[in-house]
Parts: sequence; structure tokens; C-alpha cells
Amino acid sequence: MLKKLKSAERLFLLIKKQFPLNVSSVSKGKILSEIQRLINDDPESWLNAISTWKNLLELDAKKDKLFQRAALFQRAANPPKRKVEENDIISAKKLKTKQLQELQESGECLLEKQTEEETQEQGDFLTEREKSQEAFQNDVVKAADAKNQNDLTFRVSCRCSGAIAKTFTAQVHLPPKEVGRITGIALMKQFGWKADLRNPNLEIFIHLNDIYSVVGIPVFRIPLASRAYIKTAGLRSTIAWALASLAEIQAGAFVLDPMCGLGTILLEAAKEWPDVYYVGADVSDSQLLGAYDNLKAAGLKNKIELLQVSVIDLPLPSESVDVIISDIPFGKKFKLGEDIKSILQEMERVLHVGGAIVLLLSEEHHRRLKDDEQSSIPLNSEGSHTGEPSIKKCLKPGGKTGTSETVSSSFEASSQECLDKTPPFGSLVPVECHKVSLGRTDAFICKYRKLHSLGL
Amino acid sequence: MKLLTHNLLSSHVRGVGPRGFPLRLQATEVRINPVEFNPDFVARMIPKVEWAALLEAADTLHLVEVPKEPIEGYEHDEKFLRKMHHVLLEVDVLEGTLQCPESGRLFPISRGIPNMLLSDEETET
Repeated sequence: MLKKLKSAERLFLLIKKQFPLNVSSVSKGKILSEIQRLINDDPESWLNAISTWKNLLELDAKKDKLFQRAALFQRAANPPKRKVEENDIISAKKLKTKQLQELQESGECLLEKQTEEETQEQGDFLTEREKSQEAFQNDVVKAADAKNQNDLTFRVSCRCSGAIAKTFTAQVHLPPKEVGRITGIALMKQFGWKADLRNPNLEIFIHLNDIYSVVGIPVFRIPLASRAYIKTAGLRSTIAWALASLAEIQAGAFVLDPMCGLGTILLEAAKEWPDVYYVGADVSDSQLLGAYDNLKAAGLKNKIELLQVSVIDLPLPSESVDVIISDIPFGKKFKLGEDIKSILQEMERVLHVGGAIVLLLSEEHHRRLKDDEQSSIPLNSEGSHTGEPSIKKCLKPGGKTGTSETVSSSFEASSQECLDKTPPFGSLVPVECHKVSLGRTDAFICKYRKLHSLGL
Repeated sequence: MKLLTHNLLSSHVRGVGPRGFPLRLQATEVRINPVEFNPDFVARMIPKVEWAALLEAADTLHLVEVPKEPIEGYEHDEKFLRKMHHVLLEVDVLEGTLQCPESGRLFPISRGIPNMLLSDEETET
């Protein structure tokens, strides 16, 4: 079902999607009228989306009579709290794998860097959904909609990013809150709905950036990224899932996260690929205790073993591990005490030939690995690596994935560019590299494969 | 710590090399943890097992009914796989120590988590 979308942060019913607002004029009046046009131009698309949304709620109400909206809350303009109990608002429709792939975009965390392809796909998917929902609609429901229209309470959440956001705040004094308010007033006028910031029936999301303007209704109140089974998340669950999905974990494999932190990656992986031997390691007592609690809470204590070790001194024989997945610590909270290169060397040692490493690297680590390689390759320019298999394996940007079930299409756009700049490291050959945005910072998901034994 | 994990761990004290395997197990608290039987998964683990190390560990824990070696056609032998399932996955060492057979270095196990951290001197080459 929809809840099984593991790499989507949030899911929206699309009301409207159009080109970015034209802010070149920097006239507040013009911008205001453009925003109002988002609402007034095409009331039909709003009513359609609302009726689809109501159908989803009704389907859910049938499934679960105990649905209590009041128990749920979400503050406008703020990211919702993670630990709020998830409530199913699920359409009865089964999701095909294909659609799953199409939606493998990581929502909120990527919003600011979202590529057009992504949104296009999301848009397509939503349209498809809406079409399929139409089958459920009947005249009775539609009639009820019209009657209830006035009783609807709503709230608008607005997010602006990119150059538009700068123009809005700096030049025309339109913070997102204000855009939300203006939209709200227009909606009240247009449809007669009532605003309710605390506990509305309906939430409207507006995202304005340089690539598109989009308006939608969240299908679930709680972001999909807040997993019911994760007590305390370290890494964002969507990213953790994406890392694991790139690792091509086979049944019976030995999978190691040598810097597991709270174990988020292993939890995501063990939920999705259960018949695997997982080991999580960390140097820190407190992180391991956190991981221990998380595993217990998720009921996965039996699936994942924990070790206290240093990533550069793994107590494992050489070539004993099938897959290594790790979020290499960076940023303010966790500092990496070791050199990224010695970490990779040790990973390389314990990995089987043919085994894969999938890492989340900071820009700095990524650059460091890149620089190191460039200095060791004698005077070859970037374009000269064409003979290597890694380049051939690279996905075509913007192309249809089709064959690959593990690769999220949203990552494609950036993969080519990064790959060319990431040359091999020892026996490790880069397979894929994807730039991801983690909100304020950018990072790289890099996959390496060990091609031959060390010393060959 | 499951015996499957013990079966994989090797002492990494500098200069010990392959002689750091297997670690000598001493347990002060062992729990038998029921784990859902998954014959396919167990069968996949069998080729990875170092039998001498497993038998030694099982012996120190006084486990009975431990298969002495992999038998012909074990993939389809449920009785064998169940025994292996129990030994590898259900026996959980909560407290105890692991000892490097070469250097004698002791690594504590607490709450089922082996602490394999080395001091700076031990890691220096």
C-alpha cells in the first residue's frame, strides 16, 4: 500500500502544478495576483482534488472506524513531529512496483534541489491516481461534497525556496507565512471554507520554487518518512532506505554497517530484506545503547547483531563481508575522528570480491576521495576513464530506469556528472554516485564495488 | 552475541593476523532466544560456518546436539537445519568475554554486545 513507499517523504494529491511564478517584475501587486490565480483560475481542479481526498478518507473510515483526527496534529509551516503515532489513511488500491519506482523521490529532504524530472514523475503518478480514483466516485458522494463544502476547515502551509524565496523575503516582503495567508483568504472567498490553523479537516501545501509552483493535499498527515517501527531515528529514514536499496542486498548475505549510530540504515534494510545477517558496529557506547533500544522497539533484535568496534580496526577476517552500508558521520553532531581514506581501506579489506559498499558521504569526504585518486592517476584528464566498466554502468540522466529496480529515478539527473569526477579507489570501483540534499547540506550517496583481491 | 557472530569475529590485535581466530569464548550469562525458523536462511549460513570454531564455542557453553559437520544434502534436512538454527541464531551470549588466542587480550561482552575496541598502543604498527 501507499505506506510502503519507503523513499518518499510525503505524498500529495496534486491540485495544480505550473511554471514558477514570474518574479522578474518585483512588483508585490503582480505577485499577489499570480498567487491568487493559483486558486481562482481553475476551481474545478480544486474540487476534483478535494473529492478524491474525501474518497480516500471514506475508504479509510470504512477500514478503520477508530480514525480520530483529533488525535493527530501537525503544526503549520513546521516539520511535523516524528514520533506522533501514525494513522492509516490508505487507499485500498494496491501499488504496483512500477509506481513505487516512479515515486522514489525523497520528498522534503530534496525539495530544495528537486529536479524537474522528479516532479514530473510525481505529477504523472498523481494524475494516474486521480484517474483511478474516479472509478470509485459516484454521484451520491459528489452531491455530498457540494453540500459539505462550506463546512470544510483548512490550513495552508507554504514553502518557498530558491531565488523566488530570496525575492519574496528580501524585496517584496512576502514571507511564506504571508503567502499562506493570502492563499487562505482567496480560498475562503472562492469556496467558502473556514480557516482553522489548529485542527483543520484539510491541509493545503504550496511549494514555490524556481522550477515549479505546486499546490497539493497531503495524503497522510504524518510524513511517510516517520516510520512506525523506528523509535529514534538517526539518519533520515528515506535516505537510509535509499542507501540500503542501492546495496542490492541478497538473501543470506552478511551486511555490515561499521558506523551504525542508532541503527537506522540496518532497521530500514532489515524491514525490507529480512533474510539477511546484519551486523551494526559503532565506537560509541551511547549510540550502541540507542541502537539497542531501537532494535528492541522494532522487534528486530534477532535480526541485527551489534558490536563495539573502531571502523579502522574491524575484528573481521579479510573478504568476509558481502555488503557494507554506512552513513559516514559528518557535520556538527558527529565528527569523524578518522581519515576517510583509512576507513575505506579497512572496508575494502573486509569486503568480498564482488561485494558492494554504499556510503553517504559529505561533500568534503567526497572531494577528498576524488582528489586522492586524481593525484594518483598520472595526468589523465577526466574524460579518459571511458574504458572502465564503472562509467558504462552509469545511468543515463533523465532516461527511463526500466531495468533497474533499485535506483531511484530522482537521483539520475545528477549521477552522470558525479561519476565522471569519481575515479576508482584501490580495488574499489565507483558504480554510482548521487547527489542528495539533506536540507541544509548536500551529500553524496556513493556506491563502490570491489573488483579484485587486494594486491592483484 | 549469537554464535554466528562469534564464528566470524577475529582478533585484530596488531601482529596477530590469522592466528587471532577463533576467539576463546567465556560466558557468564547465556540466554536462549527463540527465533523464527527460516530453513532457507540457515542453509545459506552453513557454507560460511567455520566448524572447528563453532564446535569449540558450543563446547564451552555445554551445548548438546550440535552437528559435528555439515552433512550431505543439508539444504533439505530440516532436522539438521533446526539444530544449526538453534546453535547459530538462538543461543545468545549476554555477558562474558572473548579472548585473543594469540595475545591473550580479553574483550568483554556486555548486554550481548562484544567490545572489540583496542587501545592506541595495541593498534600501532
